[in-house]
Amino acid sequence: MIYQEPRYLPGGDRYMLVEFGNEMNLELNFMAQGLAGAIAEQRVRGVIETAPCFASMLIHYEPEDISYADLQREMIQLVASLGPSDDIELPSRLFYFPTAYLDPWTKAAIDDYTVKINPEKEFDPAFVARLNGLSGPEQLVRVHSGTEYWVAALGFWPGLPFMMALDPRCVITAPKYNPPRTWTPQGTVGMGGASTAIYPVATPGGYQIFARIPVPIWDPKRRFPIYGDSICLFRPGDRVKFVPVSVAEFEDVERRVADGSYEYNVVGYQKFSVAQYKSWVAGLDRGKRF
Amino acid sequence: MLEVLKSGLETAVQDYPGRIGYWNQGFPPSGPMDSWSFRLANVLVGNAPGAAGIECQYIGPTLKFGRDAVIAITGADMLPKLDGTPVPLWESVAVKAGQVLALGAARTGTRTYLAIAGGIATEPWLGSRATFHQAGVGGMEGSALKAGHVVPVATGGGVAGRRVKNDARPPIRTDKRWDVEVCAGPNDDWIDDTGQQRFLTADWKLSAKSNRTGFRLDGPQWTFAEKATDKPPEHGSLPSNIIDQGYPLGAINLAGQTPIILVNDGPSMGGFINPYTVPSAAFWKLGQSKPGEIYNFRQITVYAAQALAREMKAICSEASII
Repeated sequence: MIYQEPRYLPGGDRYMLVEFGNEMNLELNFMAQGLAGAIAEQRVRGVIETAPCFASMLIHYEPEDISYADLQREMIQLVASLGPSDDIELPSRLFYFPTAYLDPWTKAAIDDYTVKINPEKEFDPAFVARLNGLSGPEQLVRVHSGTEYWVAALGFWPGLPFMMALDPRCVITAPKYNPPRTWTPQGTVGMGGASTAIYPVATPGGYQIFARIPVPIWDPKRRFPIYGDSICLFRPGDRVKFVPVSVAEFEDVERRVADGSYEYNVVGYQKFSVAQYKSWVAGLDRGKRF
Repeated sequence: MLEVLKSGLETAVQDYPGRIGYWNQGFPPSGPMDSWSFRLANVLVGNAPGAAGIECQYIGPTLKFGRDAVIAITGADMLPKLDGTPVPLWESVAVKAGQVLALGAARTGTRTYLAIAGGIATEPWLGSRATFHQAGVGGMEGSALKAGHVVPVATGGGVAGRRVKNDARPPIRTDKRWDVEVCAGPNDDWIDDTGQQRFLTADWKLSAKSNRTGFRLDGPQWTFAEKATDKPPEHGSLPSNIIDQGYPLGAINLAGQTPIILVNDGPSMGGFINPYTVPSAAFWKLGQSKPGEIYNFRQITVYAAQALAREMKAICSEASII
C-alpha cells in the first residue's frame, strides 16, 4: 500500500524517517529518491543528509537549525510538489555479474552459523525455496537469476546495494536471520524480505545467502576506471543481472580481478522508462514462475 | 609527531562529529564514542572541540612524543604515566620531546581520550580523519594504531595547568549500572504496550559480542503489535522484519529477538525495526560502559533529547575550564 499521506517518524534527537508506504515497488522507491533529490535541490535549511531506501527516506538534521515540527512542515510541502513517476525516464546502467550460485563459500558461512549460533537453522537455499513454493535450490537459482534487479538504495555498509527484482514472476521473499550472522563472505549475494543485496566486504549480516560474485563492488584503492570519482560501484537507478557460472569460472574471474585485467561487464546505452515498465508489468501473469 | 610503541586494544584516531554526509552510501560517521570527554580534551589544549585526537579502548597504548607538546587526557582512568610519573586526568600537561606516555587498563569507564595541541594531522578521507577500521578507511592507513606507526601532529600552542571543573566532567558510573535516555521511534508502534513497558523497566545487560558497530543487549523477550505480524511478505516473515529502511545512529535495532544499539561505526540501513533510539547526548554512557554492565532505559521526548545535546555542547567549551 502507498499511504495517502507519508508518515513522519522521529529517530532520537537528530533523525526523522519519512515512510511512504508499506510494500516494495518502484513507485515508492521513486518517491523516496525523488524527495531526497528535491531536498538536495532546495538545500533545505538544517538538513545534513538523507538516506532514501525502498519505501522510506531517513533525514539527518541539525536541531539547532530547524525544529522537528518545522522540518515536518517543509517535508509535507516538498512531497506535495513531487511530480508523477509515470513521467520519469532516466539513464540506467546494466551490470552483468558472473555468479556462483549454491557455492561452497556461503555454505561454509551457513554451516559455521549453524554450529555456533543456531543449530535449528535450515540450510538457506532449501529454506528460501521451500518458503516460496519452489521445487528446490535449482529452481531458486533459475528464478533468482531470471530477472534484472533495480538498485533502489546504497546502505548498511559502504557500497552495499539494496535491490528489488524488476520481473514480478521472480519476486521471492524470506525472513531475515534470527539472530544475525556474525560474518558473511565478501561478494555474497543474499536476500531478506523481498530485497536482494551484495555484501561488498566480509561483514555481519541478516539475509538468507546462496550465491557469491567474484567482482568487487567497492574500490577504495581506485583500481578500476568504471568507478569514476566514487569508491562505490553502484548508483541508485542502476540495474544488475546475475549470470550463473561454475566455481571454476568464478575462480578465473577472481584471478583477473586480482591482477587488474578484469573488465566490468556493463552496458550504458539504455534508458529506463517508468511508464513502459508499468505497462509491461500490467500484462504479466504474476503467478507464473520460471 | 607521536610514535606508537605499544598499540593497546584498538586505539584509533578519531575526530568529531566524524565522517558526515555519506550515510546514503553506507559510510558511518565513526568518531569518538564518548564525545563529551573527547571534546573537553581538545578544549583543554586549545584545539577546536572536534579536532582529531586519539581514542583508547579498554587497554591504552604506549606513545613517545617526537617534540614538546601540550596534551590532555580525559574519560576513563587508564592510570596514565609519563616516564613513570602519574599524569592527572582532565588537565592540560606539558610533555617534552622523547618522553613516553603509557596507559594501562581502564579502571573506571572504558574509553580514554588523548588530545594534543594542534591536533592529529593524518590525511583526511571523505572529509574526516575518523577511523572506520572494519572497512579500512580513515585514521592511520585505514586502521587502528599499530606499534611502529608514526602519527603526524600539527603544530599547536596550548597552555599547561588548565583543568576541567569537577561538575563539567561526565559522571562515569562505578556501580555497573547506567540510566540511558531513549526516545520512542521510529518503529515503536511495532511493539505492543506490554513490550514497551517491559523494555523500559527491564535490566538490559551489555553483551560481550559488542563492538563499535553495535552494542548487543541481553534481556527479556519482546512482544509485538499486530502490525508486526500482519504485514505484506516483502517485509520478511518474522515480527522484527521490516522493508529495508534508513537507520538513525543510536537506533535500538531489533534483530529477531536481539536488540542491538547501532553506534558510531554502525550500519546505515537494513531490514529490522528500530523501536527506540538512543539520543546523541547519551552516547557517552555507551562509550564508558563495559560488557556485563546493566542499562536501564528512560524514555524522554525528542525535544528533551535536543535540550540535553545543547547542554552538553555548552559544557564542552571554555566555560568548563579553570
